[in-house]
Amino acid sequence: MSEPFEPRIVAFLCNWCSYAGADNAGIARIPSPANILPIRVMCSGRVSPEMILRAFRSGADGVLVLGCHIGECHYTSGNHRTAKRIPLLRNLLGYVGIHPDRLRLDWVSSAEAPKFAQVTQEFVEAVRTLGPIAEEVGV
Amino acid sequence: MIEEIRAHVAEKLQELDGVIGLRRTAEGTAPCLFREGDDLSQLELDPRYPLASVVSLLQKRYPEARFGIAARGCDARALVEMAKREQVDPDRLYLLGVVCTAEEAEECHCTDPAPDPAPWPQAEVIGTPVEGAPPNPIVAAYEGTSLEERRMFWQGQFLKCIKCYGCRNVCPECFCEACALEDKVWVEPGVLVPPFPMFHLIRAMHMSGRCVACRQCELTCPAHIPLTVLYDLIRRDVEDLLGYVPGADITVSPPLSLTLEDAPLRMELE
Amino acid sequence: MEYQNIATTCIYCGAGCGLYLEVLDGEIVGVLPAKEHPVSQGRLCIKGWNATSFVYHPDRLKTPLIRRGDAPSTSSGHRFEEATWDEALTLVAERLGTVKAESGANSIAFLSSAKCTNEENYLLQKFARAVIGTNNVDHCARL
Repeated sequence: MSEPFEPRIVAFLCNWCSYAGADNAGIARIPSPANILPIRVMCSGRVSPEMILRAFRSGADGVLVLGCHIGECHYTSGNHRTAKRIPLLRNLLGYVGIHPDRLRLDWVSSAEAPKFAQVTQEFVEAVRTLGPIAEEVGV
Repeated sequence: MIEEIRAHVAEKLQELDGVIGLRRTAEGTAPCLFREGDDLSQLELDPRYPLASVVSLLQKRYPEARFGIAARGCDARALVEMAKREQVDPDRLYLLGVVCTAEEAEECHCTDPAPDPAPWPQAEVIGTPVEGAPPNPIVAAYEGTSLEERRMFWQGQFLKCIKCYGCRNVCPECFCEACALEDKVWVEPGVLVPPFPMFHLIRAMHMSGRCVACRQCELTCPAHIPLTVLYDLIRRDVEDLLGYVPGADITVSPPLSLTLEDAPLRMELE
Repeated sequence: MEYQNIATTCIYCGAGCGLYLEVLDGEIVGVLPAKEHPVSQGRLCIKGWNATSFVYHPDRLKTPLIRRGDAPSTSSGHRFEEATWDEALTLVAERLGTVKAESGANSIAFLSSAKCTNEENYLLQKFARAVIGTNNVDHCARL
């Protein structure tokens, strides 16, 4: 019996909310999938399309961008830009034949450790269903 | 119509420092700056070059000068977006609008083949605008294609890319001094387009909110890659999600760098 | 206040694509592809787009240079010094003459370039064959 495909997920986590949320999930011993490679950024607004595309190019099967809820950004409106940028990039991926659900944006605050675990769990399963990225495009 | 335009330019040259247009010589037709006293029988309207970039170049070199331009719809739209990003000063520009013919509009799949004088303090349009042409059939049929079909299509297209950077060089909206496409962290030098097309996807994302469908990129691509299909799709998304049409209204700031209050997203956020 | 586009041919490969030099007040500021050119039809490769990058390059050779002197600023212990055309050509003629006399015509080889004009390439091979007396002529395109 062959091993199940374990997706490799790169997660861009903003320092003030989602990274702290991830940290708290660990402290509270709420299990989250080990498939996640966290990358801490100061704000989700810092995550450029180039960074996300580079993650895919490097072999990530899925990319997760987690930021502060709208209205709670440490830099006031950094996450506003993320909110606009990600849907456009998702659509673009779809236009060139890469499944848009490989890129997901969500909002996780530092107090939402269970949400972090839930979002990552859901995302890993969704990407597992989509299959390895190498089947959609060479990396 | 061309005679009318030449006459207009001759008249305007008496008050302007120069008019940017296409000059025909024995060696070909190319952009140039017409000055007062020049032979205007040499002024032509095609082949189309990115004249908007010439305005920016000249205005920056001569910050006090007042120039005019014989501009088509695409040139005018490009100038609007450049003005928003401080590459062009509308107060020092006189726009002599040139309408496209129906054949020209169809060749470019252009929905707006006439310049809009509204954004410009001094402008007039010569000729009667024609109806916009229907969109590129590939774009129109895109909804019906599967991910697999799209992937096969674009893989085949990007395989032809020789990374000449022509699309970037010729684009009137590409004026960044530090271009992401020249950053080796994102676009590996010494390698043509890898199976994951970083160059093209980065360029397409950077074109969101900027591309005015002038088609110069596609016209200059040596590999005949239908770049405008991708940029048209992005432009449609920007209009659907952000209500923004590049080149349309000079008073509306590009939405991607604005807050959600100033430029809302037409989508559920949570 | 003069802006014009001057038609020329790309100096790089044998395709000979047409391009315009964007010239603003006597200075080259850019390149545009020549849309009416029968060969290139308004398209250029990366070399064509950057065909002008050598024009104002600080390393561009402006005078003949002769390697001489004792200053240890190169690994061979020599240094390039500016010279006149007369000095340079006299030196080359003397040295080639010496090598030919001592080791024979076939100890000299000539390597030409796609960046040279056809006329320059003709002259070089004529010099090799008729003046020096060797068939050792090659060209970067063959390599």
